[in-house]
Amino acid sequence: MTELPGLADRASVVADRFEPLFWYIVACTSIGTLIVCVGLVAFCTMYRRKRGDTISTPRILGSHKLELFWTVIPLIIFLTFFVWGMWVYDGAVHPPADAPEIKVIGKQWMWKIQYPSGQRVIVGGNTDVMTDEERNLVGAFVLPIDKPVKVTFISEDVIHDFGIPAFRQKIDVIPGRYVSTWYHPNKIGEYHLFCDQYCGNLHSRMVGKVKVVSQDDFDAFLREKADGSLAWEGQQIFRKLQCNSCHTPNAQSGAKVHPRAPSLEGLWGRDVPLKGGGTAEVTEQYIRESIVNPRAKVVEGWEPIMPGNYESQVSEDDLTKVIAYIRSLKSGKQIPNNEKFPPPDGAPRDMKTPAGSTGGSKP
Amino acid sequence: MSASTHSSVLKHHFDNLEQQHSAEKLGMWMFLVTEVLFFSGLFVAYTVYRHFYPAEFAFASSHLVLWIAGVNTALLITSSLTMTLAIRAAQLGKRSDLMRWLVVSFALGAGFMGFKAFEYYTDIHEQFVPGSMFQTEYARAVEHVAHHSAAAGDHGGIQHWAIELAENNKGKDPNSEGYIFPERVQLFLCFYYIMTGIHGIHIIAGLGCIVWLMLLTKCDKIPPQRYATVEIVSLYWHLVDMIWLFLMPLLYLVGTGVKGH
Amino acid sequence: MSTAYAEPQTIAPVPPEPEAPPRNYLNNGYGILSWLLTVDHKRIGILYLVSLTAFFTVGGIAAGLVRLNLLSPDGAILTEDQYNRMFTAHGVVMLFLFLIPSIPAVMGNFFIPMMIGAKDLAFPKLNLASWYVFMIGAGFMVWAVLAGGIDTGWTLYPPYSSRFSHTNVTPGAFGAFITGFSSIMTGLNIMATIHKMRAPGMTWGRMPLFCWALYATSFIQLLGTPVVAITLVLLMVERVAGVGVFDPAMGGDPLLFQHLFWFYSHPAVYIMIVPGMGVISEIITCFSRKNIFGYKAVAWSSVGIAVVGFLVWSHHMFVAGISYYSALLFSFLTMLVAVPSAIKVFNWTATLYRGSITFQAPMLFTLAFLVLFTVGGVTGLFLATLGTDIHLHDTYFVVAHFHFVMVGGMVLAYMAAIHFWWPKMTGRMYSDFWSRASATVIFVGFFLTFVPQFVLGYHGMPRRYPNYPAEFQVYNILSTAGASILGLGYLMPGIYLTLSLFFGEKAPANPWSATGLEWASPSPPHVFNFEFVPVVKCGPYEYSLNVDQLGRTLPEPPGPMAPNTLKETNGVG
Repeated sequence: MTELPGLADRASVVADRFEPLFWYIVACTSIGTLIVCVGLVAFCTMYRRKRGDTISTPRILGSHKLELFWTVIPLIIFLTFFVWGMWVYDGAVHPPADAPEIKVIGKQWMWKIQYPSGQRVIVGGNTDVMTDEERNLVGAFVLPIDKPVKVTFISEDVIHDFGIPAFRQKIDVIPGRYVSTWYHPNKIGEYHLFCDQYCGNLHSRMVGKVKVVSQDDFDAFLREKADGSLAWEGQQIFRKLQCNSCHTPNAQSGAKVHPRAPSLEGLWGRDVPLKGGGTAEVTEQYIRESIVNPRAKVVEGWEPIMPGNYESQVSEDDLTKVIAYIRSLKSGKQIPNNEKFPPPDGAPRDMKTPAGSTGGSKP
Repeated sequence: MSASTHSSVLKHHFDNLEQQHSAEKLGMWMFLVTEVLFFSGLFVAYTVYRHFYPAEFAFASSHLVLWIAGVNTALLITSSLTMTLAIRAAQLGKRSDLMRWLVVSFALGAGFMGFKAFEYYTDIHEQFVPGSMFQTEYARAVEHVAHHSAAAGDHGGIQHWAIELAENNKGKDPNSEGYIFPERVQLFLCFYYIMTGIHGIHIIAGLGCIVWLMLLTKCDKIPPQRYATVEIVSLYWHLVDMIWLFLMPLLYLVGTGVKGH
Repeated sequence: MSTAYAEPQTIAPVPPEPEAPPRNYLNNGYGILSWLLTVDHKRIGILYLVSLTAFFTVGGIAAGLVRLNLLSPDGAILTEDQYNRMFTAHGVVMLFLFLIPSIPAVMGNFFIPMMIGAKDLAFPKLNLASWYVFMIGAGFMVWAVLAGGIDTGWTLYPPYSSRFSHTNVTPGAFGAFITGFSSIMTGLNIMATIHKMRAPGMTWGRMPLFCWALYATSFIQLLGTPVVAITLVLLMVERVAGVGVFDPAMGGDPLLFQHLFWFYSHPAVYIMIVPGMGVISEIITCFSRKNIFGYKAVAWSSVGIAVVGFLVWSHHMFVAGISYYSALLFSFLTMLVAVPSAIKVFNWTATLYRGSITFQAPMLFTLAFLVLFTVGGVTGLFLATLGTDIHLHDTYFVVAHFHFVMVGGMVLAYMAAIHFWWPKMTGRMYSDFWSRASATVIFVGFFLTFVPQFVLGYHGMPRRYPNYPAEFQVYNILSTAGASILGLGYLMPGIYLTLSLFFGEKAPANPWSATGLEWASPSPPHVFNFEFVPVVKCGPYEYSLNVDQLGRTLPEPPGPMAPNTLKETNGVG
């Protein structure tokens, strides 16, 4: 069996603040308990009745001084716990203003983590019942060392809790309301991540690892998590250049507005009929050409109205990303054209957060 | 008073009647405290949501049947008076007066329940019940206002409240000011039914106690020494009345006189 | 040669042993109906004793299965689903069906009237009704737990419990709802009795501290239980009718449930422990032959705990999403509520000073309580401190803390009470050797079970996990080993106490030479408790003056004897 270290691993600034406070309370409470136990043992030994004793006890009713003493002293000591604890707590729950924000969604029984630049990771869960897409995303919660990061949570279903013992922090993740905390990891290593609020059958499987790595390793991790990252960035460009104002998703095609351009969902790898005869297979090259030189090939049934000036607005890098996005578009996946600030993937849509408290709803 | 009446009134574990009455009254007051705490939990929950969702609660409240609440309030307050008169009759040993006041109290309380039943019947008939009834009616209303103009007057057999709600929400983004969330309206209705329902159960229990007193009176088992029995039932009845006096404005008078924000 | 006493009022002889009446409460009518329709508070106490023992056994078996499963990191004997139902069953049964009624319903019912010199509680029929209500509620709960189980944890948090769990949440919650009324009835009865039925001379300042403790407990029962009742109603309505009182998807707020739930459930833990504290006061004075140190402080600290206990509920929610300032406030208030408990522990310890101490089973359980409750209490401070709670919340640290106070504290106090008052209730003495042995076994077993859990919690092992990372296994094995010893320790009283009913020596009226009024009547007591109206002459615990509360000389206390003491003259033996 592997052993537990004497002192638990510490990997964050909050953990470093926690530890002295914890041992201070241990010391004070141990001394108090010891005083009581020693008192008990001493009195029971000294004053035990022995054969031959006469039973004569003094009529002691109490002592105001002593009462005051052992009321005030413990109270003062408890208040030191309170004050120090308040300081540690303050440090643990108030993120610095400029920390990048990671979004985490808890759902039975996995954590879906999304980095600011779009990379996604899934921690925990039962891989047997995951979709292929989800299974590809399974990994660890990777964080760069010494970089404060804010994390915002929401639950899709029941109350969960995101707990990292090595950081000495946990936070309940509730449905209907975003909650936030922050981490400042300061030691490289691999640590446990647990769900700490009972959430049903596989509550104990909603666990995984937090990996604190060097900045270089973190960058490598972000690059390697291609799935979702390039495509996600491509989605941002798609939105920014307002491609979606003409290329509406299939779902909206039946609405009043006559679509100006074909939907791009499910396009990848298909053969499309061209005006003037012939077909073309939708490949990277085809998409690239359609963006930089839209009149070259026009799909049958559509007018050649796509603006021709995109070449000057997109770099090669951008093109790669947009192509990755279009490639990833399955039916129903394209963002509709009125969506400005989508919540993280998987979050309940149309969240309204009233001032001060909860209020999620579906119309 | 005969010795047998006296001894049957004084219970074996008490030393004298005064101690017994005093204990019984204290016991009832303690029970009333628990009832206050019980309803307080409900009131707190209701107040929290009313604070979060003033518009939805005002809307829902305005569609309750206010005149019934008014009549019920009058009935209940009067019944508290008649119960107090019953105590007086018991203290004076006036058996027929006692019976009369008990009967009147019962009738007033039963009247309250009668109107309550009628109110519930009306609400249910109007589909104004949280859950699938509400949702179905609202969905029908949304469909209807999407295709008909507001002033048309023909509501297609759909309930007035649903039309009004759908009209209000027509074309509005859920995140915008003035949108009234149907599920929050349903939340109000949950509280409406639970609060008035539990209150109704307490009225029925009180009516049962009054019937018990009537039976005791009929069998001549309430001599003046035993007036405390009437008093403790009356205490309970007053509490149930008082709870209604808090409940009614909270539920029925939300937003009246104030333009829904 | 008579023994010397400090400040003797009078060297009156010990009063003669009261004659065992032909009809005591036990043999006054046989047959099942005479028990099921009794209004005698003593018989109702026994009814509770029997039912609570049964429920304790059920809860204990569930605990055993939980600990057995945790022997292996992958879960040794149960599936995840079974484990979740098992720990819920353990919590629900132990809390609602054992700990909350325990001392008030058994010893409170039996002894409050006797201690204050009354013939019965204020409302005997209500008392019987409370037992029936309890059994009906227990019926629903036990059925819910046995017929498929509940898997939400005893805390029943929505939305899991209202919308996601496919288990018997509604009957379980309904059962808890019903037993709440029993708790309210018992509290109401005890409070009214203490207010109105004290014997002549029994002023508030002369009441035994057990009565003060039960009074404070009743206060909590009256005010807190109705709130959990309505919370359970709202939860049941949400679950059954599909509405959204606590469900964000329908406009509700899950935190509202937590606030309402903990508003009761925190005071509930004081309902559990304060009666135990009352018992400790009775026993420690008797077995050290001394007055309680600081009567007023101990009495008022019970009231203080009851009042301040209502102001701290949100400390269960520090990481749940409450505001920063809310957390600060509740942490501060929780520090305040810790003080009265500390005062009591110091007062009890000081009571031993210059006493004349013997170590029969009631005293051994009491001393064990003092050690274990102190540890349990101080570990609460870690959880009250915000900076440490954000790590320790929902870990085994919390589990260890509450088991220390509830089992190491309350259950041991219950055992102490049973052993102290057994002779009075049954008229029999039990084996001195085996009772001391069981106290020792329970103490050792308890320590071994729960101390490793503090370590596990510090390292972050979450609670309610059927399986866990391998490095936590060693401490889990230690804990399970301790649990088996603990189980053995609980089995022992089951055996020797039952045997005592048939083979135990007949108990005198006052085997422990205690001062309380309940010891002035024979063992078992007369049907109406006293054959005379007791007139109270002095305070409780006048051991140093060697008089009981009626002013009569106390008999020789049990234990090591001086060679020439007057055992022969008091008629005992």
